[in-house]
Amino acid sequence: MAEIWIFAESREQTLELLNAGRSLAGELGAQVVAFALESGLAQEYASHGADEVLVLPPLAGDQPLEAYVPVIAEEAGRVRPDIFLIGGAQRGKEMAARIAARLDTGLCSGCTGLRLDENKQLVMERMLFGGAAVQTVVCAARPQMAAVPPRTFEPAVPQAGREAKVRELPPVSVSPVTVVKRTPKVRETVDITEAKVVVCVGRGVEKKEDIGLAEELARVLGGEVGCSRPVAEELQWLPEDVYIGISGKKVKPELYVGVGVAGQIQHVTGMRDSKVVLAINRDENAPIFDAADYGIVGDLYDAVPKLVKELKNALKI
Amino acid sequence: MLNTIACFKWVMDEADIKSDPKTRQLIYERVGYKISDYDRNAIEEAVRLQEEHGGSVVAVTVAPSGARQCLKDALSRGPGKACFINDPTFTGLEPGQTASILAAAISKMEYDLIICGEGSSDLYAQQVGPALAEKLGIPCATYVNKLTYVAEENKIVAERKLDDGIEAVSIQLPALVTVLPEINTPRIPSLKQVLGAAKKPVEDIGLDSLAGTFSPCLKTTGVLAAVMERRRLRYGTGEEDIRKVVEALLREGVIA
Repeated sequence: MAEIWIFAESREQTLELLNAGRSLAGELGAQVVAFALESGLAQEYASHGADEVLVLPPLAGDQPLEAYVPVIAEEAGRVRPDIFLIGGAQRGKEMAARIAARLDTGLCSGCTGLRLDENKQLVMERMLFGGAAVQTVVCAARPQMAAVPPRTFEPAVPQAGREAKVRELPPVSVSPVTVVKRTPKVRETVDITEAKVVVCVGRGVEKKEDIGLAEELARVLGGEVGCSRPVAEELQWLPEDVYIGISGKKVKPELYVGVGVAGQIQHVTGMRDSKVVLAINRDENAPIFDAADYGIVGDLYDAVPKLVKELKNALKI
Repeated sequence: MLNTIACFKWVMDEADIKSDPKTRQLIYERVGYKISDYDRNAIEEAVRLQEEHGGSVVAVTVAPSGARQCLKDALSRGPGKACFINDPTFTGLEPGQTASILAAAISKMEYDLIICGEGSSDLYAQQVGPALAEKLGIPCATYVNKLTYVAEENKIVAERKLDDGIEAVSIQLPALVTVLPEINTPRIPSLKQVLGAAKKPVEDIGLDSLAGTFSPCLKTTGVLAAVMERRRLRYGTGEEDIRKVVEALLREGVIA
């Protein structure tokens, strides 16, 4: 029987891939096999659609998650599943690339869509050129592998009474990459991907203090402040948790407001699914205006205070 | 002494790619080429380590034979030598093929460290670095934003910037790392460096001197411009215009 395999570094991503895997399995008549990082998750994965759960052994304290690559690749090489979906957060992307290399198969990374064609071949979709184009690929080798970014699919819905076969995998060999220090990120208070309104600060904002303008606008709109990549990484004015783009956060708010955002394609890819887009930029040729429903061409230092005032009137704040 | 290989890719400048709004076909006319953005960080990091510890830097690329001008660009950024792994058929390669071709060539070279960018600016598949490490059978660390060479132990300590925090890993050489853009700021080549680049040695490696076959697994069945249906209405900063924008947002039901 054909098999669809799933590995992700977190429970949430595993549930999302179980949803995608289950619907493909229905069309293919395939079994869904999910990896679990602890045996306690096996029952949950079973009720969310796994027919078999492969429980990975615990790692030593100085081993990174990537130490699982050899054992996962070995299992996959033995069984040669038809499809192998991997949660494409950072570690997952590395692991998927290494597993595909070991299996001599193709990998569609950054995969944003999956479907089966008339020959039951997996058609995988991904972005090209920083998000300017959509590429569809199929894979002649097996497994057909995709690394799927978090939140691409909704999590699977549990069904009562589903059981799965559970198999414990053998201990893993020691990785030559050893962790010498872990510094957990201090969780920022906001999750920008959950915000209904996102006000995004771009390079058009001249000084760090001027982010206050965007904050004021966000406050009036009941939203959160995000930024483009350089504002977080080069200028370090805002935490890296809130930068929006192909390599950062992908936001889908009701309203996105770009304040001095030029709109490079890499950024637009992170906000293109916003319901309504408002952009403020003094350069009338800024690419953000092509990605906007409403564009205010003018100095943000002039426009934003006026906008705040008008919003306060309209919303009776 | 640290002998480093910096891998780079010669890519189309995505800013030059246009599309036909009717057919959604991409138009590549008058498209310029560049060293993939993050590969400049890879080259810079290799050169920085050489300045600190001595040794050598070789810039390596897999490219169609017509892309020879990429060598001068790469060499002007500081590497002492370039390897041009080329064949007329090396176009539109998938990441797995590029990794296999690189591995076939690099396995015959002497090196301590390989540095790749986080991902290319055209495909951004982020596969070549880790896949190359697997093909060569060496360990790797991805998403590195700080790299330290510990000469007396012949190892590197790499700080990986991950979603949940920083993970510092220690790896015996030889090893491979992929670097994030914030690891350094690539220097702009000086005129002297640009002129000097033409005199630096280039090793040509052709397909016939590589062991192995490099057939694709993936087949692209379509490339279409991403569509975005937006109203694209323009306003000024006059009070009347601002009021119209706010009214529109209220009508859309996105503010309340």
